[in-house]
Amino acid sequence: MAASKSQGSFFGLFLVGATVLCGGIAYSASATGKLLLLVGAGILLAAGAGFLKIKPLEGETPLHPGPEAMKWIGAGVVALGWVFTLGGLHFVEGNGGRIIVALLGIGVSLFGMLYVLPATFNKTAFWKKPAGASARTGFAAVADGATLQSERIAASTAAMRAAK
Amino acid sequence: MKALLRNHFLALSIVVLCSTAGGMAYAQTPPAPAPAAAAPVPVPPATAELREAAAKAPTVADLQKGDPGGSITGTIADVTLADSKAGMTLADVASQVGQDKVAINFVWTLVCGFLVMFMQAGFAMVESGLCRVKNANHTYMMNFFVYGCGLLAFWVIGFAIQMGGAAGNANLGGLNPLNAEHTISLFGKTWGLFGQTGYFLAGHSYDVGVMVIFLFQMVFMDTALTIVTGACAERWKFITFSVTSVIMGALTYPLFANWAWGGGWLSQLGSNLGLGKGYADFAGSGVVHAVGGLTALAVCMILGPRIGKFNRDGSANPIIGHDMSAVLIGCFILAFGWFGFNPGSTLGAASNGNLRIGSIAVATMLAGCTGTFGAILYMWITKGKPDASMSGNGLLAGLVAITAPSGFVSAPGAAVIGLIAGVLVCLSVSFVENVLKVDDPVGAISVHGANGLWGVLSVGLFADGTSNYGGSWNNVTGSVTGLFYGDATQLAAQLVGISTLLGAVFTLSFAINMVLEYVIGHRVSAETELNGLDIPEMGQLGYPEFVFRPEPVFAAAA
Repeated sequence: MAASKSQGSFFGLFLVGATVLCGGIAYSASATGKLLLLVGAGILLAAGAGFLKIKPLEGETPLHPGPEAMKWIGAGVVALGWVFTLGGLHFVEGNGGRIIVALLGIGVSLFGMLYVLPATFNKTAFWKKPAGASARTGFAAVADGATLQSERIAASTAAMRAAK
Repeated sequence: MKALLRNHFLALSIVVLCSTAGGMAYAQTPPAPAPAAAAPVPVPPATAELREAAAKAPTVADLQKGDPGGSITGTIADVTLADSKAGMTLADVASQVGQDKVAINFVWTLVCGFLVMFMQAGFAMVESGLCRVKNANHTYMMNFFVYGCGLLAFWVIGFAIQMGGAAGNANLGGLNPLNAEHTISLFGKTWGLFGQTGYFLAGHSYDVGVMVIFLFQMVFMDTALTIVTGACAERWKFITFSVTSVIMGALTYPLFANWAWGGGWLSQLGSNLGLGKGYADFAGSGVVHAVGGLTALAVCMILGPRIGKFNRDGSANPIIGHDMSAVLIGCFILAFGWFGFNPGSTLGAASNGNLRIGSIAVATMLAGCTGTFGAILYMWITKGKPDASMSGNGLLAGLVAITAPSGFVSAPGAAVIGLIAGVLVCLSVSFVENVLKVDDPVGAISVHGANGLWGVLSVGLFADGTSNYGGSWNNVTGSVTGLFYGDATQLAAQLVGISTLLGAVFTLSFAINMVLEYVIGHRVSAETELNGLDIPEMGQLGYPEFVFRPEPVFAAAA
C-alpha cells in the first residue's frame, strides 16, 4: 500500500491524541486534567485501531513469522541483567563487589541482546530459505530470489577478481 | 561734657540697634534645616572612585566621532543604574557583572545549540549518501521529519520528564521553575525518577533560562532520534518511523536523560551510595549516542535485513551507497557541529570552571582525528584500502566516544580514547553484520551504540580529576576521577550506567517497537523495497533525472 491518505489521517489522530493525553498528564491534579487524560487515551486508541485496520492493506513483506514468545523472552533476559546490577548495588557492600556484580549484569544483558535475540530473529530469516521452498508466495518469494541473485553477483565478482 | 554726651548717645544707639536687630531676628521664621543631599553624607571610597571614573567616561560627543579601535565603546557609562539620581553604586556594578555572566552563558549555550541543530544536515547527508539512489528522498525525508517529530514531542512532554526537576544550575540563572522531580524512597535513600514541570513550556516554565536549556536539550534529543533513521534506512515504513520518533522523543530519551542529567537516580549514585561523583556523562556518549544506537539495534532486529544483504549461507553482500561525497561532507558538518555538542555542554562560558571550554574543544578535535586514523589504518592494513565510508565512521566514532569524557580528560587521554574508538567501530561493524546478521546500512549501531558505551566506560578510566565545574559534580564535592587516576568508585558508577543503557533503554525501545510492529508494522512490502522507497513512500524521486537500472530479479519476477 505504501504511504496513503489513511496513514496520514491516523497519524494526525495519533498526534492529537498524544497531545491531549499529555495535557491531561500536565494538569492531572484537576478535573479538567483527568478529563483530558480520558479523551486523549480514547483518541489514541482510535488511532491505534485505525492503524490496525489498514495494516493488512500493506503489501507482503519479505519477513517470515518467527517465534514471538522467544523475542519477548530475549528482551526479558536483557532486562534481567539490569535488575541484577541494581540488586548488587544494595546487596553487595564494597566497590569491588559492586563492579563485579555490574559486570555480571552487563554480561547477562549482552547475552540476551547479542545471542538470544539475534538467534530468535534469524531462526526464520527470509534470506535462509532457498528460492521456491518458501511456504509463502508473491513478493516474499521474490525476496528469496533476490537473495539468490545477490549470491550470483557476489560469485561473479569473486570470479572476476580471481581472473585478474 | 559734650564728649560725655556723645559717648552716651553712641552707646545708646548701639544698644537700640542691637535690640532692633535681635527683635527682627526673633520675628523671622527659624531657618529650615539643610536638605539631606546637601548634607555632607560620607561617600564610600569605592563609590567615589566609580563616580570619578563615570565622570571621565567618553562623552556622546567623543562617541560621535567613531571608535575604530574599539577602545571607548563599552565603558563604565554603559553600566545600568538602579537610580540615576543617586549615581553609580557598587550594587549597580555587581548586578551588571551577574547579568553579564548569565548573558554570556545564555549566548554560549544558544550558539552551541544552533551548531548542534546544524548536525541534522550532516546526518542527512551521511545517511542518504550511504543508501542507494532509489531511496535517497525517503532517507533525506526521515532525517528532515525526525526534527519536527522530536521537537513536538519534547515540547509537549519530553522536556518535562527530562528536566522538570533540574533546578539549581547557576550558569543559567538557577532554572528555579524546574523544581519538581518525582522521587521514590528505596533502601533508605531518595531516588529521582522523572521530572514533573515544564509541560508545553507553560506556566512558571515561561522563563528566560528555561527557554535556553530547552533549546539546547532539544537538539541533543533530536540527535539521538536521527541515529535510528540511518540504521533502519531503505526498508522502514515512513508512518512507523514517524510514530516511533514521537514516542522516543516523548519518553525513551527523556527518561534516561533525566536519570543522568535531570537530577535522576543515576546522577545520585555518588551522593547516595558513594560511587564516585555519580554517573558522569559530560555531553552524552550514553544519553544521546548509546540511546540512539541501542534503539537502532532494537528496531533493526525487528525490521530484518534489506533484501539481498545476506546470502543463504549467511555471508553478507556489500550494498554500496550512492554518494560518497555527500557522506564525507556530512561527516565534516557533524565534526563541526560537535563543537557545539561538547564544549556547549558546560552550559556556559563564564565562571564555575567554564574556561575549560578550550580544553574540551581540543579533546573533541583530537579524538575525531585519532578515530579517523584508527579506522583508516585498520582498513588499510587488513583490507588493503583506506576505505572512505569507514574513515568517515572512524571520525564519528572518535567524536562519539569523546562526548562523555570530553569535560574530564587530558589531551593525550582524548587521543587514546579516539584511537580505540576508530578501531572498535571497524570491529563492531563486522560483528554486527557477520555474527549478529543485523543489517545496518550506515554503521550507526557501531558508531553510536558501541562507541557510546565505550565513551561512558572511558570516563571511569581516563578522567584525570583536574576539572572543576563549580567545585562539585552531581552534588558531590570534588572532580570526576577515573580508575587510572586513582578512583575506582567512578568506574562502578559508569558500569551501572552501561547496564542501565543495555537493560532498561534497549528493552524499553524493543518493547515499544514490538508493539508498533503488531499495530502498524515496521517494514515496507517487498515490492516497495525492490522498487525503491522514494515513489511508493514519498511520491517523488530524490534524483528524478537519474536513469535507473531495473532490479534484475524483480523485473524477471514481474
